Parts: sequence; C-alpha cells; structure tokens
Amino acid sequence: MGAPVSAAIAIDSLHVSYGNQRVLHGVDLTVAPGEFIAILGSSGCGKTTLLRTIAGFQKASQGAIRLFGRDVVNMPPEKRGMAMMFQSYALWPHMTVLGNVGYGLRLRGVAKDEIRTRVATILKMLNLSGLEDRKVTNLSGGQRQRVALGRALAIEPEILLLDEPLSNLDAKVRLQLRSEIKSLQNRLGFTAVHVTHDREEAMTMADRIVVMDAGKIAQIGSPKEVFDHPNSPFVASFMGAENTIGLDIRTSGAGVEVAVAHGNPTSWDGAVPLGPVTAYFRDDVASLDGPDARIDGSIILPGRITQRTYPGGHYRYVVAINDRHFTVTDDHYHELDDAVGLRLPLASLHLFPTDTIKGENHA
Amino acid sequence: MTRPSFFGLILIAPALAMIAALFLYPLGFSLTSAFTVPGGGFSLTHFEKAIDLYSTDILFTLFIVITSTLLTALFSIAIAGTLTLGETPWLISSLRFLYRWPLFIPFIVAAQCMRTFLAKNGLMNNSFVAMGIMEPLQATSFLDWRGIIITFVWKQVPFVTLMLAGAMASIDRATIEAGRNLGASRLRVLIEIVLPQVAQTLLVGLVLSFVTMLSVLSVPMMVAGSQPTMMTVDMAFRINSYGDYATANALGVISYAIAGAVAWIYLRHNVKREIAA
Repeated sequence: MGAPVSAAIAIDSLHVSYGNQRVLHGVDLTVAPGEFIAILGSSGCGKTTLLRTIAGFQKASQGAIRLFGRDVVNMPPEKRGMAMMFQSYALWPHMTVLGNVGYGLRLRGVAKDEIRTRVATILKMLNLSGLEDRKVTNLSGGQRQRVALGRALAIEPEILLLDEPLSNLDAKVRLQLRSEIKSLQNRLGFTAVHVTHDREEAMTMADRIVVMDAGKIAQIGSPKEVFDHPNSPFVASFMGAENTIGLDIRTSGAGVEVAVAHGNPTSWDGAVPLGPVTAYFRDDVASLDGPDARIDGSIILPGRITQRTYPGGHYRYVVAINDRHFTVTDDHYHELDDAVGLRLPLASLHLFPTDTIKGENHA
Repeated sequence: MTRPSFFGLILIAPALAMIAALFLYPLGFSLTSAFTVPGGGFSLTHFEKAIDLYSTDILFTLFIVITSTLLTALFSIAIAGTLTLGETPWLISSLRFLYRWPLFIPFIVAAQCMRTFLAKNGLMNNSFVAMGIMEPLQATSFLDWRGIIITFVWKQVPFVTLMLAGAMASIDRATIEAGRNLGASRLRVLIEIVLPQVAQTLLVGLVLSFVTMLSVLSVPMMVAGSQPTMMTVDMAFRINSYGDYATANALGVISYAIAGAVAWIYLRHNVKREIAA
C-alpha cells in the first residue's frame, strides 16, 4: 500500500496463476505519469503476463491494479481505457488503414468527418500520409506497426502498453521505430509500459527498467543503475555480465587483499563483500596487459592467446586461462600463443558472496 | 505447353468414370426428360405443369430453406461467438461438449424425434405445461412449417458452428484483444472484428447447409402435413403415385437452379475476394 493517488499505474502485491501454475508471485510496481518503463526478462519470467494483467486480458488471483487511483483489477479490458501495441501488429485485415486507426474513435462516437481529419493528423505524424484507403494487408511490416501505433495513439490514451511490438521487424526499421515511439512519448506525454527481452531496446527507450525473474521483480532502477549496479547475480548476468570468476577477499591493513586462483593477488580499498565471492563481468571491462603485471585495484590473470579476429577498429582475442576462455578486445596486435595477462579492474566487477549464489536461478 | 500425360489420365480415370456414371449421366437424363415430350422434341410442357401444380410448394420450399439458413447463421454465430469470446469456463466447456451431438443424428431420426417433441401433446408442450409457463388448452402442435424449420436448424447449426468455431479459433487472438483494448464490447468485437474475418467460412457453411436442406425428403414428409409441402415431397409423389418422371425431373431442374443460384453467389463472392487480395 501507500502508492500515491497520482501514480499512473500502481500495482500492489499482484498474484496471477494459469490454473494451478503460479506465474506472478506478488509484484509491486508504481509508474509515474509520463514515465517510460521497460519490463525486461527472459522468456517465461512473467513479463508478458504482467502486461496482460494490466491490460485486463489475464485475471489477477490476488492484488490490486490502480490506474490514476482507480481500481481496475476486476474491470473488463474494454473499460480500462488503455491502448496497446502487439507483437503481431494485430491489425484488422478486413479494414483499411483509416478503418483501423479510426476504430477507437468510432467506438467513442466521434463523427465520420472528424475521424477522417484526426486520422489524417496521426498518419502525418507517423509518415503514413495518403495511405488512408490502403488495405493493411498491402503494407510492409514497418508500416503495419506504424498503423498499429497510430491506432493506439488515436484515442489519446494516458497509458500505452507495448507487448514486444518491435521484435518482428528487421533491424533497421526496429531502430527507426524505437526512436519514433520514444520521441512521440516525449511529445505527447503518455505513460508507457514496454515489455521486451531486448536489453538494448529497454536501455535506450526507458526511463526506468524493471528486471523480472521467475514471476518476481528482481530489480527496478534507471538503465544506468541496473547496468552498473546489478543487485543480484541474475540481474548481472542478464545485463550482459555473463563471465564469472571466483575470488577470495580478506581484510589487509586499511583495505582488502583480493586473491584469485592462478592469478596475481592485489590490494584494494573499495567496499566489497568479504570471503569467497563470485565476480560477474562483461567482456568489455577486460583488457590485456603483461602476464606478470601487478596493478593495484586490478587482478591480472596470466594466460595465452588462442584466437584473434579483426571485427574492425580493434582486435578481438580469445584468451585461455587454464581450462577457461575469455573474450577480450584490444587495440594492439598480438601473436597467437603469446603469454598475456587478462586485466580485470575490480571497480568494474560485480561481486556477490559465493554462498548466496548457490541455488540461485541463473539466466 | 506440357505434354498431356497418358499415365496421368489413367490415374484420374476412375474418378472421372464415377462422376460420369453417378452424376453426369443421371443429370443429363433428367435434363433431357424434363425438356422433351415423349414423341421427341424440345418442350416446356413439364415445367408449365410443375409450376401450375406446385408453384406454392416451390415458394414454400424457398421460404423454409432461406429462413432455416438465416436462423442457422444466427445460432451458429451465437454459439461459435460464445466459444471464442466467452469468459465463463464451465459454460464454454459444456457448450463445446453439447453442440455437436445433432451432427451424428440422421435427418430421418431427427424428424422422428421432432414428431414426439413438437406434437400437441409432445414433450415440449408437456414440459411448458409442467413448468407452469403455459395452460394445457393453449398447447398447439408445431408439426407444420415451424417444425420443419426447427428440425433443419437443429440439425444444421452444429455443422456450421463446427466450421465457424474452427475458423474463429484460428484468427489471430491479438486482433480480438486489440478491439477490446480500444473499448469494444464483446458483442461489437464479434460483429465488427471476428465475423468479417471468418465471413468466407460462414458463407461456405451456409451454402452447404442450404443445398442440404433443399434436398431433404424425410423431414418435410414426417414433420409437416402435405399442404403446402416441400419440392422433394412433390417429386417423390409424382414418381411413386403417377410414375410421372417428367414433371418430377422438371421440379428437379428447378431445384438445381435454386442450388445453382446459391453456388453462383458464393463463387462470385470468392472471385471478388481473390481479385481484391
């Protein structure tokens, strides 16, 4: 409880089940008016279920959903006054572009001429001018999803729900539509909840990211916060820090000493958990150094280069350290089989005590 | 040009022979018989006689079959719509279980059942009386045109519903949700979003039902009296009582024409859609 009445969406301990199978186990989420929220998670984590429950297509078994203070949890979808975009576009194939975009207005009893004018304005905004009388089956994927966006925006909704609307489009159109949706949201000021499994899409579009795992919210925060400071191993690996390495941290003087198997220990004065920890890191935080280098605040893992590729701009190496392989990028050219040190700055690693990780659900 | 394949011809020969022997020959025979007089030569005498004697029955047949088709459409849409858009699980599962049963009951059995169900002292009136809905004196027999329509609709609704519910289940569910999301009630979604997407299937089901009902002999014979009655009964009567094949064939040609007109509507609609697509 305690969500302010002014919240666009306030969700209180929401539980949802499909038959006996519980999908959402108590979700709490507050979305401010005009905010763009991305719900991120792997398949089956319940992100689409959460969105569908907000829209009213899925019944909640427990909990409350309030839209601008109005409890809608038992309301049918048509009474909730939201708009939604679907992965499959969900355009009505028997209607023209005008019919599709104007349908919401027709339901609201707007006069025919007025519908035509308003649809024309929206189509202009979406660069679809002049397509009013075109059958939607004769449009390209990008145009179709734009029509779907127009259909959703025509009713001037306060809340727009996006159910992976960009995942069926090819890469170029996806990027284009991504920024179009974002700039329309800035201009029109609606609240948006965007479900996606694409990390970059979530990062670039959203004001706040909600990472979901197994029917619960794992972390909520700004893109930077979630990316730089994941609060759990799951979030860390979901945000791309998929490499792991075991460390042992002990107090030493004013700071700590960080020991690593087969590597050079280092001292550091950052705040870290003590004892055995697992470090999660992305490929791009690692760099190459000499195998015997000792740098405060960085651990060095000696290894050998086993593979070199040139994707453009820099080299990409695969470094073998004992029986493990890490990918690292470096500007300099190294021969295969050269002895190198994989340098990992402690400040860029996500450290979690190893004991608590056991039994955690990894992505 | 591809070379006509002798082997291919052999493969389809049995099917062609069956069509020729069981359909084309009788059709040709009945057409010839309908349009010629015993001495030979083209004549419309049999049609004049058929229309003279049975014009009321032809109109009656049209009325029965068209009304039954429209009612079948209405009930099928209602049932298939409930199955697709319903939100009461027990209602949907019991409806799904129940609606198909009449499919497995032949027309003649259905007609026999309706005789006992719709009679003056039949099960339906007795139930109404027992429930206090109706006084015993008000009971009337439904064994007339209404009985025929009730039997036809009862028998054909499951068939059309089966096709329609299948088609509705295969449309993109998100198109339904998009409609409701924008504020359309379930009834509006059914009429404005679901039905237009399955119109083709509904049309096929109704055309097939129309032709089936046009050709049923047992139901009008058993359920209703003889005046007026349907063309099938008249054809049977011409043959059985008078051996008058010529008039029966003329009535048959009129039946073909009615069925052909319906098939033409269907084909024309189909072609239009293909051009539009």
